Amino acid sequence: MAKSKAGLLQGTLDMLILKALSLGALHGYGIGQRIAQISGDELKIEEGSLYPGLYRLEHRGWVQSEWDTSENNQRAKFYKLTRAGRKQLTLEERNWERLAGATMKALRAS
Amino acid sequence: MSRVKATVDFIHAWQHADEIADEVEAELRFHVQMRTQANIEEGMTPDEAQLAAKQSFGDFDQIKMSCCEIKRGLPFNMKPIRMGLYIAIACLAGGFALVAVNLPHHNLFGVLWQLAAIAVLMCAFLVGRRKQ
Repeated sequence: MAKSKAGLLQGTLDMLILKALSLGALHGYGIGQRIAQISGDELKIEEGSLYPGLYRLEHRGWVQSEWDTSENNQRAKFYKLTRAGRKQLTLEERNWERLAGATMKALRAS
Repeated sequence: MSRVKATVDFIHAWQHADEIADEVEAELRFHVQMRTQANIEEGMTPDEAQLAAKQSFGDFDQIKMSCCEIKRGLPFNMKPIRMGLYIAIACLAGGFALVAVNLPHHNLFGVLWQLAAIAVLMCAFLVGRRKQ
């Protein structure tokens, strides 16, 4: 039986993109690959939905982009985390841990 | 990103809308191309690989449009500006009311016109408040 993959909760995609970029600059395709890799291939993301997320993050000043040459010598847009983006990631990680902890506590209540 | 840079980017996005759209398209095409290549390496035929890449990407045109819209989005919070606009409309309606009250009573057309203007402005204000 195929292993079912978890769908993403609203708002978590932005956090995952920031997390993927905290490990180094990447193009959009690479970000999708890295999210899959760091989640142990558990998180299923519709590939195209990454881009509106990336543009939103850039608009907020949390990531910045520049065109460069990819690993296969093609022109690609690379994204990297800004200082504000790193702060935002820390904040979101803390919020996420608190939320996950509270949810677990509620689920374990007898 | 500073407010100044955000504003410059915003103006640039509006001035060079076609250029921005081309850039977004190039970026999305690169993704589909990379996925196609990966699918070929996994053993698919080029046609199958391209089809699967397009399917896993989602609605290309819709995504491109969303990205362009985000690029053209306002770089600052519109709420205070909108609120200011509503207050200005309310003041204008109040001004019209004052003028209408002070108009000579024999000028019926003038009074009616002013009342109609007040009604329209008040409706605009109420609709704006409800939307908010």
